[in-house]
Amino acid sequence: MAREKIYLEEVFPSPFMQLWGIFRKTPVAMIGFCCFIFLVLLAMFAPILAPYTAVDGNLDMILLPPAWHADGNVSYLLGTDELGRDMLSRLMYGTSLTFGLSFIVVIFSLVIGVVIGSLSALTRGIKSSFLNHFLDVVLSIPSLLLAIIIVAILGPGISNTVWAIAIVFIPQFIHITRYAVKEEFRKDYVLASRLDGASNFRILYYSVFPNIVERLMSQATLAQSAAILDIATLGFLGLGAQIPLPEWGAILANGLERFYIAPWTVYLPGLAILFAVVATNLVGEGIRHALKLRKEN
Amino acid sequence: MLTFTLRRLSLFIFTMLVLTLLSFSLSFLFPGDTVINHSGQINASAAELAHLNQVYQMDKSIFYQYGAYLTHILNGDFGQSMASQSPISNEIIKLLPATIELSLVALLIAMLVGIPLGFIAAIRHNKTSDNVILSLAMLGYSIPVFWLGLLAILVFSIGLGWLPSAGQISLLFEIEFVTGIQFFDILLSDSPYKWQAFRDASAHMILPACVIALAPATIFIRLSRASMIDVLAASYIRAARAKGLSFQQIIFRHAIRNALIQIIRHVGLQFANLVTIAMVTEVIFSWPGIGRWLIDSIYQRDYTAIQSGLLVLSCFIFIVHILTDFIYAALNPLARGNKHGS
Repeated sequence: MAREKIYLEEVFPSPFMQLWGIFRKTPVAMIGFCCFIFLVLLAMFAPILAPYTAVDGNLDMILLPPAWHADGNVSYLLGTDELGRDMLSRLMYGTSLTFGLSFIVVIFSLVIGVVIGSLSALTRGIKSSFLNHFLDVVLSIPSLLLAIIIVAILGPGISNTVWAIAIVFIPQFIHITRYAVKEEFRKDYVLASRLDGASNFRILYYSVFPNIVERLMSQATLAQSAAILDIATLGFLGLGAQIPLPEWGAILANGLERFYIAPWTVYLPGLAILFAVVATNLVGEGIRHALKLRKEN
Repeated sequence: MLTFTLRRLSLFIFTMLVLTLLSFSLSFLFPGDTVINHSGQINASAAELAHLNQVYQMDKSIFYQYGAYLTHILNGDFGQSMASQSPISNEIIKLLPATIELSLVALLIAMLVGIPLGFIAAIRHNKTSDNVILSLAMLGYSIPVFWLGLLAILVFSIGLGWLPSAGQISLLFEIEFVTGIQFFDILLSDSPYKWQAFRDASAHMILPACVIALAPATIFIRLSRASMIDVLAASYIRAARAKGLSFQQIIFRHAIRNALIQIIRHVGLQFANLVTIAMVTEVIFSWPGIGRWLIDSIYQRDYTAIQSGLLVLSCFIFIVHILTDFIYAALNPLARGNKHGS
């Protein structure tokens, strides 16, 4: 009789796979994850999928209500705005600005924050104390206020908003990485590999990082939901994306003047922001829940 | 407690130094001439400019310049607003109390709603009510605040007509400016319509305060839930149960007190978040506070106002932060011994 496996091997899934195993068993988290993937795909392929472009106006079809309304037109599914631009296409293009840019911002500041944070975790004494106090100061300034100041220096515009938000998030990632690395360095397995003669960087790379990567991911989802809200808020205040850009906050601010006659130009972008933030938070919640369960096992 | 106080004091001084350094360097980063950004006098004549250069010691090294700037700040001289050409310190004294009032009321609402809900969720851990409260908390945390503000105006001010949508008090009431905090001013004034004014001011307060309070309240729900779950798992609760105390006695006498201490620790951090939300809300509800003034000054490129606003607002946040630290240390002897970097 043929045996597929000669040696009886027990397979230990890696910590990451264990986490995924728990994560996929939580239905709510999986729904959030699917929405998240959907938004990522939409952000990438919006120009192909959208029925119209974001700036094309059809002046015969001004302020058309959504299609389920009695006056609606099915070829403009979510209605049009005051220049006859299709709301659905604008919202789809907006995904790549509000959601896609927040995704990129978070990854950018995550990488920089983790590098600085883990290096600073290895320092001690006055350097460390200085950094700690400095971070306390920066973190005590509200993120939006800091972003507003940076935009005031650089001037309004979507690219400046992105830089401002990236700069604001870096200290948060430094803080959490520093804290997590310091905590791991106190544990016995780090001592064991130090006794094997591993250098600090080797310990950091091979021993500590695999153990803190999930915590960083959960922080990243939190940061992303904040980044979506910040980009939209700056757009709403007129400091972020400028007029023709279909950024969700800017669309909302644009519809504000016609709030009473065309409420869909205000509530649709708001719903889009809400959807994106909820999807991101569900993924984050799922990761945190899975982390907790994995720790308990 | 003495070492704790000294530590906090040194942290406070260090923070203030960094913050002033930041606002000092903003003058160099903003477009335009540095000394004009410091003082805000855009229409200064050549003689005045020479005087300003001398006052801010622009001919000397950067350390002297910083020293001169710091002296000005310590004397309460933030320069002039570039837009209105009036002293910024006067404007801040007029505007900051309104923001303090609004944010403290919002903090109170957030704590009064969030903490009990979190406790209920923790006591009914893993049951339906826990899940419902958690889902609502996540939804509340995800709503963009400007959208919520607009919807609140649409429903409560326009649709139902219950509450006013803008401003701090109706223009009919003439309240003398004493402290700047509207409620105190009304109570101090000798107007015959005191109580009508008080009711009107509260009606103006409810909508913006509730909009601001929603997101912090959801965070308080999570914090209080987590800390209550921790406390309920502690062994002194089991000891109390073994002693034969009833469930209510355990919760009210032992669990709530210990859970609250952990929450107070986070109030300071949440406050920064709350002030950010308050800034946007002030714009939507036309609240005459410092957040709206700051955003207006960005539209007007009023750089002097921006840097002073940053300084004052973050100073205010940091003072609240330090105060909560003190309250936490006074309530919890364990926290006082904590030495480095926490």
